[in-house]
Amino acid sequence: MLVKGRSQKRSDDMADDIQKSKLDALKKTARPCFQCGICTSSCPVFRVAPELNPRVSVDSIITKGEVPREGNEWLCAYCLMCDQRCPMGVSLAEILMEIKNISAREGKAPPDVIESAESLMADGCLSPISSRSDKKRTELGLPDLPKADPADVQKLFKATGAFEVLEINKAAQQEEAAE
Amino acid sequence: MKYAFFPGCTMAYRLPFAEKSVRMIAPKFDIELVDLPFTCCPEPNAIRAMSDDTWITFAARNIALAEKEGLNILTACAGCHESLSLAKHELDASQEKKEMVNGILKNVDVEYKGTSSIIHVHQLLFDEVGIETLSTKVTRPIPIKVVTHSGCHLLRPERILHVDDAEVPVKLDLLCEALGMEPLDYMDKTMCCGAGVRKTNSVTSYAVLREKLTSMDMVEPQAIVVFCPTCFITFESGQRVVNRIFGTNFMFPVFYYTELLALAMGLPDTDLLLDEHRVKIDLPKTKEVQDKAKVDLGDSLASSP
Repeated sequence: MLVKGRSQKRSDDMADDIQKSKLDALKKTARPCFQCGICTSSCPVFRVAPELNPRVSVDSIITKGEVPREGNEWLCAYCLMCDQRCPMGVSLAEILMEIKNISAREGKAPPDVIESAESLMADGCLSPISSRSDKKRTELGLPDLPKADPADVQKLFKATGAFEVLEINKAAQQEEAAE
Repeated sequence: MKYAFFPGCTMAYRLPFAEKSVRMIAPKFDIELVDLPFTCCPEPNAIRAMSDDTWITFAARNIALAEKEGLNILTACAGCHESLSLAKHELDASQEKKEMVNGILKNVDVEYKGTSSIIHVHQLLFDEVGIETLSTKVTRPIPIKVVTHSGCHLLRPERILHVDDAEVPVKLDLLCEALGMEPLDYMDKTMCCGAGVRKTNSVTSYAVLREKLTSMDMVEPQAIVVFCPTCFITFESGQRVVNRIFGTNFMFPVFYYTELLALAMGLPDTDLLLDEHRVKIDLPKTKEVQDKAKVDLGDSLASSP
């Protein structure tokens, strides 16, 4: 492993601060949960893949003060059924979304998420625009849609920290491939 | 009425015929659609999961473009609608967040103010146009049995979106009824189609879809009606994958609601839309009922107090 220079050390500390403040916010959001489990019983993913259990994810935050590390948060389809039904107004889907943010900053985002981020950065759009899709639009008499200035897209991408998260994940992917 | 039209990437580039149907019906209700250089909404599941700040800043930029033109936004995809509405809700509720976002948007000469509202085609037709006006435009009713799926991101979070009752949605059913269809109730009506995890874990995603389709199949509908392009693709193309993985035999025709509206209004060139469908349906031919509709309207007006 490489020895980290001073500037690398400083940015690591800053990253730790971001992660800590995110975890503190999560603990506060999760606090009203009394573990009734209606979130889990309403979850369409739990129905077919019980490893995603919103109640258990929140339990780990409340009782251990830890973000669950199994990576199951990426199974959440963000359908918000748990959010709708929680009697304490705790948005489990939003908590899982925050856990995804924390995981992503640790380089644990799944490949498809990285891909989506890359196409947003490249095209400002997630569905690939191809000559075929353009031809179809013309056939249907649909207008050419105006596009955002790619330079603007890049600026926003960098200024909001997405570029950094993308780099962290790409490095993690390469490290994994090397192992 | 004029709107900044936000078809979204999925509709624009993967389901252009659905976009066509929105553009076909809009002028019939005196709606003018304006195209602006929007980016992806951005899609909440991937982009927001990676960076919350990136998600809200891109969404704020999109909304701000419409604000600059003094226009409200008309969305056509449930995902875009939810993403933009949630971002707006967060920005309007927190001065701190708004300042953070505007600090970044300054670099691209845009400012989020919070002056434009966001509505989906579902709301435009049900809340603004209304079932009564809509019914008067129907000249060729479509007598088929359907199940409806509004889409998670149109229904929830209900406290912010207010599109329909998130546990017992009925408005899309009523919109279908207005076109002569018979909407059927089914067990898992508010359940997700599974699209949200399709790329991350496809088998899980298709298992969710299998549950959903099984529930629909129990009431024997002739078609599925949706108001979201992502749900459309999940049902229409996804059912084949479900069949392959789980040995099922689903083969439902799927419609985006305004396609059926265009058909029922007897608009020209609707064949263009139907040709793009992967599962075809022979829609029962009905006689033109324009004259009858006029008579009916006369009767109901005459009998009203």
